[in-house]
Formats: sequence, C-alpha cells, structure tokens
Amino acid sequence: MLSCRSYQMPKSLAEALALWRGAPEGSRLIAGATDILPWAREGRAGDVEIDTLIDLSRVAELSGYQQKDGRIRLGANVVWQDFLTDPVLARSLPCMPFCSVWFADDQIRQQATLAGNLVNASPAADGTPPVIALNGDIEIARLDGDTVVTRTMPVADFISGPGRTDLKPGEIVVAVTVDALPGYGGSYQKVGQRRSLVISSVCCAAVVKTDPSGKVFEDVRLALGGVGPKPMRLTETEAMLRGKAISADLIERASAGPVDLVASRTRVDYRRTVVRGFVRAAVEDALAHAAQSAQSEEKETANA
Amino acid sequence: MPELELNFEVNGRTVAKRINPGLRLLDVLRDDLNMTGTKEGCGAGECGTCSVFVDGKLVKSCLMPAAKAEGTRIETVEGLARPGDLTVIQRAFYKTGASQCGYCIPGMVMAATSALRDNPDAGHEEIKERMGGNICRCTGYTKIIEAVELARDVIAGRMSPAALEADAVGESYIGNSVRRIDAPAKVAGRLKYAGDMIMPDMLHMAVLRSPHPHAEIVSMDTSAARAMPGVECVITSEDVPGVDGFGVFVHDQPIMARGKVRYVGEAVAAVAATDERSARRALAGIKVTYRELPGLFDAADALAPGAPVLHDYAPDNIVKHIPLRKGNIEAGFAAADLILEENFSTQQVEHAYLEPEAGIAYVDHDDVVTVISPSQNITHHRHMLAAIIDRPIQKVRFIMSPVGGGFGGKEDMIYQGMLALAAMQTHKPVRIVFTREESIVSTAKRHPSRSKVRMGLTRAGRITAMEFDMLSDGGAYGMSSEGVMRKAAILSCGPYEIDNLKVDTTVVYTNNTPSGAFRSFGGMQVQFATESMVDMAAEKLGLDPFEIRRRNMMKPGSLTHTQQKLGTASLGMVLDAAEKGSRWEAGAPTVRGATRGDTHGAGTREPCKLGERFAAGPETKERVA
Repeated sequence: MLSCRSYQMPKSLAEALALWRGAPEGSRLIAGATDILPWAREGRAGDVEIDTLIDLSRVAELSGYQQKDGRIRLGANVVWQDFLTDPVLARSLPCMPFCSVWFADDQIRQQATLAGNLVNASPAADGTPPVIALNGDIEIARLDGDTVVTRTMPVADFISGPGRTDLKPGEIVVAVTVDALPGYGGSYQKVGQRRSLVISSVCCAAVVKTDPSGKVFEDVRLALGGVGPKPMRLTETEAMLRGKAISADLIERASAGPVDLVASRTRVDYRRTVVRGFVRAAVEDALAHAAQSAQSEEKETANA
Repeated sequence: MPELELNFEVNGRTVAKRINPGLRLLDVLRDDLNMTGTKEGCGAGECGTCSVFVDGKLVKSCLMPAAKAEGTRIETVEGLARPGDLTVIQRAFYKTGASQCGYCIPGMVMAATSALRDNPDAGHEEIKERMGGNICRCTGYTKIIEAVELARDVIAGRMSPAALEADAVGESYIGNSVRRIDAPAKVAGRLKYAGDMIMPDMLHMAVLRSPHPHAEIVSMDTSAARAMPGVECVITSEDVPGVDGFGVFVHDQPIMARGKVRYVGEAVAAVAATDERSARRALAGIKVTYRELPGLFDAADALAPGAPVLHDYAPDNIVKHIPLRKGNIEAGFAAADLILEENFSTQQVEHAYLEPEAGIAYVDHDDVVTVISPSQNITHHRHMLAAIIDRPIQKVRFIMSPVGGGFGGKEDMIYQGMLALAAMQTHKPVRIVFTREESIVSTAKRHPSRSKVRMGLTRAGRITAMEFDMLSDGGAYGMSSEGVMRKAAILSCGPYEIDNLKVDTTVVYTNNTPSGAFRSFGGMQVQFATESMVDMAAEKLGLDPFEIRRRNMMKPGSLTHTQQKLGTASLGMVLDAAEKGSRWEAGAPTVRGATRGDTHGAGTREPCKLGERFAAGPETKERVA
C-alpha cells in the first residue's frame, strides 16, 4: 500500500524541476504510475510511505511530439497507446505499434509512458530494444540556478544495467528522440509467461528497408532484450544483411550469430533457441511489412 | 492526516472530496463514493476488474493515483446505462450467460464497451485482443466474447434487438437456453459481494501472518499495537473462549496460530481498527518472538523415520490413508501379457477466483454472532464456530454472500473465526478484505501429488489388474484432505471395469501451504495418471486410443472400483461424441507419420497472436500500420 505526505502535479517543467530539487529524501517522480503502485505491495516493497510524489503527467512541455530533420522528439508523457492510435507515429516508427500491442494491455497502455519504461531500465523492458533500433536519444533536464538546462545521450548509454541509469539527482527525463523511418517495415517479437501483462522473457525489435525492387536490404536495424543485463543492438547481424540480396539462406545464416550474445543467468538454452528464431522471424516479418509500407507510400504519392 | 482536494466528474455528477493523497482512484470510487461496481481483484493491474473510463479512455483504477482524477470525467459501470436499465452490451452478457460468479463482469463490460467504442466492427480475434487486460476464471471466455459479438451486431443493426431477449422455452427448461436470474445485477455492477458491504461503525481488520514455515511462538506482545490510534482491538489465539479448531474432516487448525506456526502466511494475530491503513500500520506494533523449527517441505520426507512432527495427534504425519482392494491383484498381473509401470506427478495449483476472500461479522441486538462471507459451507462453519466461541448454535449465524468464484477454495473457515472474535470484543461490525497476495499465500491449494501406477493388460487390450499408489502433500493443516483422498481413490483407475485392484491414496502433513478442496477434488491428479497409462498401453499394443477405452469401459452392470453395481453408464456415448467431435483419425498412436489431419480446422483454436487491429477493415475509419 502506497502512502504519501504530499502529491504534487506541476504544470510546467520549471515548476517540476524546482519541486524535485527541493523534494525531501525518499520522494519520487511518477508519470503513468503503473509501476509504482504494484511495487508498493506485499512481496515487493510492501507498505511504502513516500514523502512527496511528483506527478509529471500534467507538465505541458512533456506532452505530445514534434517532427524535425528526420527525427521525432517524443515528449516524456507520450503513452504506449499513442503508438497504436496516432497515425503519424505508427507510420514513422514502424516497429512501435507491434511493440505496443504486446506491451501490457489496452488499459495500462493509456497510462504507461515510453519514457517511464526506459527509466525503469528493466533488462526485460519491452520498450528499450525498439528505441535502440531507432537510434533513440534521451533528453534530460535539470535546473542550473533558475535556468532549465538539458543534456542528451543515447538511450543505449543511458541504461547502464538492470534498474540502473545515468539519471542524476534533480534530473528529469523530458523526451526521447528517435529516427523517423517511414517506408521501413517494422516488427516486434516477444515471448513472456502469457500474452497480456507480462514483461518479455526475450524480445526482438526490427526495422527494415529494401531497395525499390524489394530484392536488396537497404537498411536493417535489430535489437534484442531480455537476454542480458541491458538490451543490445545487433550491429554485426545488421552488417551481414545491409546491402545484400534478400534470401532465406542469408537470413538463416545471419540469425545464427546473435545466439552467442545470450548472457542471461537463467533459461539460457531456451533463450538461445528463441533468439535464433526471433531474429529470423523479426527480419522476415519486417520485410513483409516493408512491402506493405512501400505499397501504401506509393498510393499516397499517387493520390498527392 | 494530509489531505488533497479533488474535483472531478463521475457519471455526469460533479464530485468534490478531500482525500488522503496516497489513495488510488479505485479507493475513492469504492470507499468514498460507495460505487462498488468497480471491483478490486488484484490491486496490481493484472485482472481488469477495476477498469473505468477516464476522459473516455479505459484505465485500471487500481493503477491510478486518485489525484490524477483532478478535473477529469470518470465513467464507471454504474454510469453506462440509466438506473434500472441495461446497455446493449450488458443485455448481451445477460443473454449469452457470460456472467457466472460475476466478479470480473463489471470490468469485462467496461472492456467490451471500450473495444466496441474504439472499433464498432471489431472481429472475434480483435475483441479478444482488446479485452486481453481482463481475467475471468469461470467462463473460459467463450460466452463473454460471444456476448460482445452479439452486442456488436445488434448495435450495428445486423441483428434484431430481439436477439437479446430470452429464448422461448417450450415444455421443459432442459435442453433450452435460459438466462440467469442473477445476471442483471452482475452486469450492472449492482450485486454486493462481501467486500462491497458496509455497516455503520464498521471496523477494518488486518492480519499479522507468519514469516516462518515452522516455528514455536516464544512470546507475543500486542501492547504497542493496542495503543496505536484507531486500533479498537488486537486478537490472538489467547482470546478464543471455546474449543479452538476447525477443518472439514479433522479440526486441527486454530483460528490463529496457537503456540506454533506451521506455514508461511498462517494467521498469528489480527487487528481491528477504524480504517484499513491504521489496521495495517498496527501490525508492525505486534512483537512476536519465534524459535524456528526444522520443517517438512516434501511429502516423502514427512514419512521418513525421525521426521519432524507437525501435529501431536499425528506422530506419523499422516492426515489420511485410503486403501481400496478388489479381486486378486497377484492373479490379475499373472494373467497379463503386458505390464506397464510409470510415475506421475502433479503440482500445487491456486484457485485464483477473482474475488479475494472478504467478510463482515457483527453481534446483533439479540447477541447473535453473525458472519457474512462467501463461504462455500456455511452450515458446517456455523457449527464449528459455535464450539470455537463457546456459544449455543442459535446464537451463531452465517450468511452466505455472493461468491465471486470459489472452485473449492472458499470451503475452509480460515478468517471467519477472527472476524467473529473481533466483533465480539468490540461489539462493532468488523470487515476484512484480503489482498490478492494474502489470498494466495494463506488459502488452500490443489494437492500436489506423486503417483506410482502399474497396469497389466492382455494382448487384446483388456486391463487385468491395476496398482495405484498416490502420495499427496496436504500442507500444514488437514482441511479437505481426507475427502480429496477418498475421491482420488474412488476415481483412481478411471471409468474402466477392472477386476483386480490395489489402490492406496495417502496425504501427509508438511510445512507447505495447506492443500484443500479444488474442483474435481482429487479426481484430476489420478485421471491424469490413469488416462496417460491407457494411452501408453494403446501405443504398446497398437490399438486406437478410443478402441482400448471401449474394450475396458464400465457398462450397465459393471462393478465400480468400490464394488457398486452400475445401473447405467454413459462412457460409450461420451467416447462416440468425442471421437466424432474431434474428427479423430482412427488408428493406433504408432501408425501416423509426423503430421495428422485432425489437429487443425473447425473447432480447433489457432495459436495466440496479436495485432488483429492492424488489419484495416473496409468500414473502419482511422486504422494504423
């Protein structure tokens, strides 16, 4: 059971940062709150008394997204369901709808944020592999005197281990900026204990672009989660595929490599088997979606 | 206590409340506004019973701090239809029989409403996907999804609203589909389960539970807890006035641990306070000193010489042994052409009803100690409680509240005694509502089992003899173990006519969570073993699995394992129907290649996948990906 002395809902980033800087020891930042409430229960943290809960969900600067220079800056309050219901996000971030549909369930996706998923830094988080595949950067704000200053770093470096990030006292994550990849095909493969409401035992995100003929891999991005202390980008596998003629044989060979990256402490053989199948399935699935995506882009061009 | 001012709208009405800032939206709806159609099944976002619309978006109110509701528009199950009316979706749930225990149903109705608001043309798979955040334990979901599809078609005008009305019943209800009379209350969220009930001056109970599997209670000091604000009483086994012990067969369990604890989660003391938070806080003020004892965690260890003894009355740790003999087992095996021997094991299983245990007790104006709870066995509980609290039977009353799923798990009187005692001490109504974690840690489970089975058969596939030896882990207390062993023995060798039998089912005490009643009541553990043996025999003998069963099945006139002569028997009809319904490819298990034709197609379910909503339908407006 969660108790708090004070619950704050700042409206601006400056207000939020000031509250956070001045918050007594043991205060917490929350956004969707979908993780903190189950955490404060028997078997996990038990009954927790927190001084101040600072709820960021009404901070204006953290809402919505902007498109700029081939990138999309997702405000920290963008929730998971947005990747399913916002046509621009779905088209520009082709792996995100597939990831989102496997994330928790319809209700929780209305509250849970992508940024919150990244900050929790679970090795089994659903959100990190697709963001890493999209070259995601995380933007962090703090107060320098009364001035809001920000710094940006790759998500891959921000997450330093299980539950560990580079976030420093007084800092708040304000945005996640990722590559906009319209025309790519996306895929997300996940296995957990059941369909809804579970974290990944293993997950794999892919975005793939083919040349206009559809016969050559023009770009391939792959990332794995759940198989080690932090998610990983499969750069070697990507290099094996990029620029090569698409063939089942090549995909089969490329999917064998990442098997050796499995560094989990449990169910290693299982995870190795799954990884091989997932890398192959993710590439094939993303290719199929890339073909659909190319068709609809053509249609849009024709209509325009 | 700190307070937060909250202004929001619920079902079209403006609400202004001063609340504790730590509360969840669920708490404010249920406790402050008494809108109990929104249920709490888990408190951790897993089950969906607490789903409500916030500004038109369906969320789980157990995961939403109440403060987030400031300025929002909330819609709960109570607000879907006008009072006394039902929406099309609610009427469809009523029609298809989608509500059984009903506890998940308000949440299901909300999820169905959300699914059809988002996509009025959602297909079967998409409906399933969109309702994936809600759990039902009774129905297997089929009737729920059927209801949503029916509602969808009525809303779209593809089906007449008459489809929502009751089917005509001719001369007999048998064979006709009849609507459940309690369904309207369930689909509207109006039915009050024990945890939804409130009484004036009601106190809230919290229970201190054992952290140890086996330990002596050296001392217990409740004085600090008694002195805490809001606390009205703290009870322990010392407060029990009568003969302390309950159980379905053997009364081996005190209502709170007496002298020692025997499993993790056993009740040690209970607090009744003016509010739930004060009650929980007071638990930390109870000081218990334990001396840990060696524990038993495996059924086989309980039978080993020198094993720790859990209950003085049972120095061999055996709760019950049921032996069953028929014919001549040696002669039976001597007549066999083939003897198979195999070991089987099954695990502990939680009932996982959606309604966690809850109850209210009070002492009425005539000094009748009254307990309202979803007990599956109130008459037996009443007799046991009378002895425990030393009151004449006419001064003890049990009222059965709607059971939000039981499956056998609510047969045991594990908390009603504490409630009664606290009500007697305070002369105020006392309510307890278990958390999901508390429910899982403290209540009975399905018996884990290990069976050793020998089966003798002729070349023609007739079973000549069977030896069945099952050892079950009963956990710390007897509960329904004896009955479960009896049923397991009776059903052990299946619906087959076998002349020579030797069956032993034994259940022992361990320091694991107690095992108890669970639908099938011992039948499942033994059927798993026996039916697996029959399949293995079919493979060895080159017989079709249906055929080998027909050659052995009980018929009218057969003698059962307990030597009852059967007047009727229906296994032949069951086998015929199953064979036809499954489009069974006849033949021994050994005759097929790697593939078979009867595992796909109509009547079979494809593996789970997600993303149905991505398939753009022609009539849908804005679809993605």
